[in-house]
Amino acid sequence: MMNLQTVLTITKKEMLEIWRDRVYFIMAFVFPFIMILILGFGLSFDVEKMPFAVLDYDNSDQSRDYSYKFISSRYFDYKGSIDSVKKADELINTSKVRFVLVIPPEFSKNIINGYSAEVQAQIDGMFNYRASVVSGYISAINANYNSELIQQWAMKSQGMTSQAISDLISPVSLETRYLYNNELKSIWSTGTGLIVLVMLVSPAMLAALGVVREKETGSIFNIYASTASRSEFITGKLLPYIAISYINISILCLLALWVFQAPFKGDLSVLLVANFFFVASAAAIGVLISSFVKSQAAAALISMLGTMIPGIMYSGLMMPVASMSSEAVIEAHAFPAMYQLEVIWGVFLKGQGWPELWLNILILSGFLILLWLLAVLRFRKRVNG
Amino acid sequence: MSIAVEIKDFSKSYKKIQAVDDISLSIQTGEIYGLIGPDGAGKSTLMQAVAGVLRFNSGQIRVFDQLIDSDKSAEKIKHSLGFMPQGLGLNLYPDLSIEENIDFFANLRGVSSETLQQRKKMLLEVSNLNKFKDRAMKNLSGGMKQKLGLVCTLIHQPRFVILDEPTTGVDPVSRRDFWEMLNQLVREENMTALISTAYMDEATRFNRLTVMHKGKVLDSGTADEIIERTPGWLIEIESKNPKELLPKILSHFPQAEEFGQMIRITGFDIAVEKAQKIIESLIDGKKDRWYFVPIGLEDVFIHRLNHVLDQPETVTQMDLNQGLTPLMSTSELSEELIKAEQLVRRFDKFTAVDKVSFNVSSGEIFGLLGANGAGKSTVIKMLTGILPPSEGSGFVAGHDMATSSMAIKESIGYMSQAFSLYLDLTVNENIDLFGRIYGLSGRRLKERSHWVLAMGHLENVQNTTVGSLPMGKRQRLALGCALVHEPRVLFLDEPTSGVDPIGRREFWQILVELAKNTGVAILVTTHYMQEAEHCHKLALMQAGKVVAYDSPKQLKRDLKERRGSVLSFKVSNPYTSLSLLQKSGYSKVALFGSRVQLFSQTVTNTRKTVSEMFVNNNIEIENIMVLEPTLEDVFVDKIESAIK
Repeated sequence: MMNLQTVLTITKKEMLEIWRDRVYFIMAFVFPFIMILILGFGLSFDVEKMPFAVLDYDNSDQSRDYSYKFISSRYFDYKGSIDSVKKADELINTSKVRFVLVIPPEFSKNIINGYSAEVQAQIDGMFNYRASVVSGYISAINANYNSELIQQWAMKSQGMTSQAISDLISPVSLETRYLYNNELKSIWSTGTGLIVLVMLVSPAMLAALGVVREKETGSIFNIYASTASRSEFITGKLLPYIAISYINISILCLLALWVFQAPFKGDLSVLLVANFFFVASAAAIGVLISSFVKSQAAAALISMLGTMIPGIMYSGLMMPVASMSSEAVIEAHAFPAMYQLEVIWGVFLKGQGWPELWLNILILSGFLILLWLLAVLRFRKRVNG
Repeated sequence: MSIAVEIKDFSKSYKKIQAVDDISLSIQTGEIYGLIGPDGAGKSTLMQAVAGVLRFNSGQIRVFDQLIDSDKSAEKIKHSLGFMPQGLGLNLYPDLSIEENIDFFANLRGVSSETLQQRKKMLLEVSNLNKFKDRAMKNLSGGMKQKLGLVCTLIHQPRFVILDEPTTGVDPVSRRDFWEMLNQLVREENMTALISTAYMDEATRFNRLTVMHKGKVLDSGTADEIIERTPGWLIEIESKNPKELLPKILSHFPQAEEFGQMIRITGFDIAVEKAQKIIESLIDGKKDRWYFVPIGLEDVFIHRLNHVLDQPETVTQMDLNQGLTPLMSTSELSEELIKAEQLVRRFDKFTAVDKVSFNVSSGEIFGLLGANGAGKSTVIKMLTGILPPSEGSGFVAGHDMATSSMAIKESIGYMSQAFSLYLDLTVNENIDLFGRIYGLSGRRLKERSHWVLAMGHLENVQNTTVGSLPMGKRQRLALGCALVHEPRVLFLDEPTSGVDPIGRREFWQILVELAKNTGVAILVTTHYMQEAEHCHKLALMQAGKVVAYDSPKQLKRDLKERRGSVLSFKVSNPYTSLSLLQKSGYSKVALFGSRVQLFSQTVTNTRKTVSEMFVNNNIEIENIMVLEPTLEDVFVDKIESAIK
């Protein structure tokens, strides 16, 4: 069985080294915060203040009235009007604007004469998601303008009240209320969700480097040649990284409340327990990775990619697990990130507690045991060279 | 005596490379057993397998009767074993203090705190590290790191220690200190030790040893036995005019080597009487002086490799003379090409180089010696214009290094330890690339390529990729590439580390010829004392200062005048003899395996008194030798007085 004395000897030595090595110290305590701030504000999914320009061939009261609907919207940022298609292409091409609204010469004439008028929106389709959101906004503003026109016509010609007309035009009125994140601020969900990503990558990388560094310098031979057992070494090596990461994840959770202004609605004890198993599993992934590589460069790269990609793709952070392909669903379930994301969102945004999340915690603890076991079995005190 | 370690038919390969091939040896309890061989001989592989940290392909290893055939059985010996891997201080933790390092090793082994305190106190005293016990390991000198490594390896009182190249990269004084400390501890604690080294001259430090080359055993036994098994002789000729004498000598002894003003001849196939007659007929009795020198393991090693393994192509001095064309006329030969004047370089508060002055003329080989961290590389960096000096000035090929570093870069060749060749390119492609970097093209480039191939004897391999060449050839190619633009000054930073003795010898022959025939000024740094003998002038650096600056011959002569000759006794009980001599007040007593050595101004007297003292204490004397002081003796002496 494990000798606690030996485990703590290794842990203490590791702690001293991290504490005194400035580069390592910064990597351990500063890196996660930089990562979450950069990703948190950069990775906002809100489409707001989209720059656009207007190419108005009609130049009438009617056309100006129409374009004003776009200019006054909070989703768009009016950059000015232009006079040629060439200029429009150029602006979109250089990403100065995301779309150009083109109003043809006959616009007001057609409307006044009761014909349908056509307008064109040239949208930068580079980013699918953004383009479809922009297109949605444009359609909505356009539809709104149409109904206004009908309203005006009906008021004038039929003498109806505006309420009566609106009831007639849209018999079913849709009222949406967003639950859990009722202001639909993506920073609430991404900000808290990113804690999962950052605290998956950082402990894994730290722990992998911590072991591989010893392989690179040769001090690992002290362990190989000593009487310390494999499990003693792995545990002793893991403990400091678990402790550091637990401190970090706690601070990150507080940051989510203060900086991202996320609410906290659920059970704190669930979060505290889940955080432990999650960062411990992440550190164990790092130690496991370290058994496959020999250089620090490889360890950093593999632990970073190996946790970042599944952390982004298969955690549910970018896309709900339910809407993934069946293969992706399996991968999502085979990785601890998804369970922790459910916990984080559950306690921050959904107000959940033990009844909803106990299984997640059980699974996370299962991951820890499994990964620790694999790391111990992969570690050899007698190598092949 | 009982057997501590038994190795039978041991083999180990890494993927395609056969690192160790069918080795057998046995180590007796209480012995200091050596593994000697150049890099790549398979020493580390064998030691790691014995330490139970490396799996192997075939053969048997027994340590204290425990067969190591599985990971599980390997664990059983680890409590009685101490292992120090290769690399100076690399297995220690740089940010931990001396004491914290020791505590970690002890606690890892479960040493009780009482024993720990007691042993720590004792080991810190023996190693003289007590004063520094709170200093972080990264701030220690090479010699201190090495001693700390040993202390950490011994803290749990192992019965058997395995030390992989513990003396590589430290200065001669630290090396001697280290051996003294090890000898004392092995004796007091009744340990057995297996120690490897790349320095052939350390062979005498071991009770018994195995000489390895390319994974095979060349020979085993005591150093004397191995040397006696290959009977040969070594004659040195001190000449006033070696340039005239050398061709004459070479026509009779093609293996003769030029060391500055000295010619060194080793002979194995010619009877010594015959050689003696030939030499006497060749030399001028008034100007030249010859004497016998005891033959060393390195000479035997080179001879054995040439004959036993039948190495196909070795370069002889004769071939070399044909390959080289002079760079400039002899009238320019006395020009001073490197000049350092009171160079100082400080990093923050730390002074890396402290008032260093020397000069090197064309055709001269200048050796810059010193331990890792003594400041050699910083001096080279300043002279090559990479690093500005804090104070002082320097001139290279007539250019002031402070103002014209670009001009300097064009007129020097530089070859580093790593050789900086492109391993995926062929020999020709490498030469081409380096030529073009220096602005050569067309016929000129072609001419220079031919010159490099001829000089390095690389014609047969010109279309081979460099990665598949042996180290010796890579080294010659790197030298050629550094010379492709015909620089007048050549800087060589530990050019021979990692190359076997034959490769090293060939390389030095080329250097000597280069300096002589082309007039290039060469500045070279090295760890190998024997290589230093080739230099015309030497500077020894210690903690940033030059503590000795003269020709090797003069340095040795000075020491002999001050301290006398070396008396070497081969005795039946070296440990007792050592403490007897120390108790009787003899200073500078050193233990070399089964020999004790001391300096004496009055050789006959000392010889008599010491012999009588040994006989009175029932110590048998096998033989007594009177030796000339070596360069190593000089440096130990210089560094010791510099430290005081």
